[in-house]
Amino acid sequence: MKHLKSFNKKARMIDKATSTDDVEEVVAMQTIVGCTSTNDPGWEVDAFGGLGSLCQPMESDLYGCADACWWPAQVPDTMSNYPDWSQDVAKADEDWRKLDGIFPEEQK
Amino acid sequence: MNNNKSKYALLNASALALVGTMLTPGATWAMDGNELIKEKCLACHTQTGNPEQPYSRISEQRKTPEGWQMTLQRMEHLHGLQATAEEKQVLIKYLSDTQGLAPSETADYRYVLEQKPNIVEDADPAYAEMCGRCHSNARFGLQRRTEGEWKELVATHMAVHPTLELHALSRDRRWYDIALNETAPKLAMDYAFDDTAWAQWEKAAKPSLTGSWSVAGFMPEKGEYSAVLTAAQTSKDNYSVTMVGHYADGSKLSGTGSAKVFSGFEWRAGLTLDGVRVRQVMAASEDGATLTGRMYQSAHDEMGGELKAINGSAIVTLSPAAIKQGEQTQITIKGGYLEGTVKLGKGVQVMKVLSRDADRVVVLAKASASAAVGMRDVTVGSTKAQAQLAVYDKVAAVQVSPMQGLARIGGNGGKIPKVKSTFRAMAFATGADGKLGTDDDLNLGYMPASWSLKPQNEVAKEDKDLEFAGTINSQGIFTPGDTGLNPKRRMSANNVGMLTVVATVNEAGKAIEGEADLLVAVPIYIKRAIQ
Repeated sequence: MKHLKSFNKKARMIDKATSTDDVEEVVAMQTIVGCTSTNDPGWEVDAFGGLGSLCQPMESDLYGCADACWWPAQVPDTMSNYPDWSQDVAKADEDWRKLDGIFPEEQK
Repeated sequence: MNNNKSKYALLNASALALVGTMLTPGATWAMDGNELIKEKCLACHTQTGNPEQPYSRISEQRKTPEGWQMTLQRMEHLHGLQATAEEKQVLIKYLSDTQGLAPSETADYRYVLEQKPNIVEDADPAYAEMCGRCHSNARFGLQRRTEGEWKELVATHMAVHPTLELHALSRDRRWYDIALNETAPKLAMDYAFDDTAWAQWEKAAKPSLTGSWSVAGFMPEKGEYSAVLTAAQTSKDNYSVTMVGHYADGSKLSGTGSAKVFSGFEWRAGLTLDGVRVRQVMAASEDGATLTGRMYQSAHDEMGGELKAINGSAIVTLSPAAIKQGEQTQITIKGGYLEGTVKLGKGVQVMKVLSRDADRVVVLAKASASAAVGMRDVTVGSTKAQAQLAVYDKVAAVQVSPMQGLARIGGNGGKIPKVKSTFRAMAFATGADGKLGTDDDLNLGYMPASWSLKPQNEVAKEDKDLEFAGTINSQGIFTPGDTGLNPKRRMSANNVGMLTVVATVNEAGKAIEGEADLLVAVPIYIKRAIQ
């Protein structure tokens, strides 16, 4: 890293983290049930336990992660399980209202 | 699989299915679970010839009703299972009864069945890093499999979610080797298919849950309540249910519905309570004396609270559960059919019985200034409950529950509703030693508090999370902001945020505060019966 200089906020955070062992700390970071702790990138929180390094707004980069099944318990993956999930929503940042969820049937 | 439909559409569809079931109660149970497995599952699964484990894969797993429900949904979604709602109910019931979990096997993970929000699990790092990255640790903790079946589950994950090998904590180590040769054998030890707990429970006589139950609980927006729940058996393991009682403010509570019991103790009920569809997920104690769990709105499972029922006439709990030395206050004793003289223990006088109903007795009580600090047993006639009322000198500390909350943005014309978060303030007194954090601290129960929010850290302050992420009301209910892009935020960021929730209780003019963390996150687009 000594020949590379970070030039934006996220890069500086990564730079700082790698020099202070923060990365080791987040490996065991606990999350609230329902949230993912896969945070490279994260869905609810970033690798630092905050929101500053998330893709924001999430709609702008949603498919880049969701298509590849990055948070399979939070966002439908169109790669193998829910190929039609976003079929009618070409641009999530414009048509996010059309995106639906996949929820269980109420069990009697 | 019912994907690409709104949550509400699904609930409406299942409500219709319920009506159909109610009209033809005999039809459901005329179907035989074992015959249905042969009819529906053997297109792919095979008969082993071993009467102990007759079907390939199926017979080497044990699960909760919700676990089997998820299995059937996956079979429908990925493998072409065709089954009606009624047939799935029969299969879930049969598999839960014959290959379920014993009460003790579910004890550590009730929260996930109850859809209890804001839980932070304390899992073995080997599991948290391998499995808990995506879903709860309860999801596998509520399954029992042979080692071969745990290994097959690794293969299933590879097939269904192939990119998981690219995630952090996968790509940087021998993920598949560890999953197959370390995690699966460990799961087979910790969550073994063959277990005496299930062998004994399967043989044990199961309690009848028919009768009247004394009930106490909490529902956000409505508050604490007491009720009498009546369960009348309609067929084996099926009950019609009525619930009648009062909320803390005196308004009436009334509902009817039906319940089904799985595995001999897993109570699952659906009721319409004061016009709102609610669901009860409770576990019966092995002797059938109590039912404990949670009741929540079917359409908003975060909007719910604890529910406890004791069979017959009993004192369940008091509200408030504490009285201050020298003060006079109204106390509700929650319990069914309580008759006779009310006694609140030494130094606490019942000034007047204000009202008596089938589900509660409301009294005006006064604690003498010299009443000793400590817990009191409470009796009404011949009914007694131990350590129900705390006599205290002053509130010394306030703890916010939950300590870590989660809310999710939603609404705003989209299909995913907002997920709120409900906070409550629990108060503590020091006990006789005058020191906090010692064994004699007195838990004074939940107390009214005033609620406020502040940014959790410098980034939250800079990003004005307080302005955008949501608001908290006087009941401690946090409502998150609208979903979607917000052009008023930097980079049009969502209304996410990291906030601190502050509860303030006034104690003789002094503000006693408690705090909790609150994460306001983006919506979740997938929800399972077991998260």
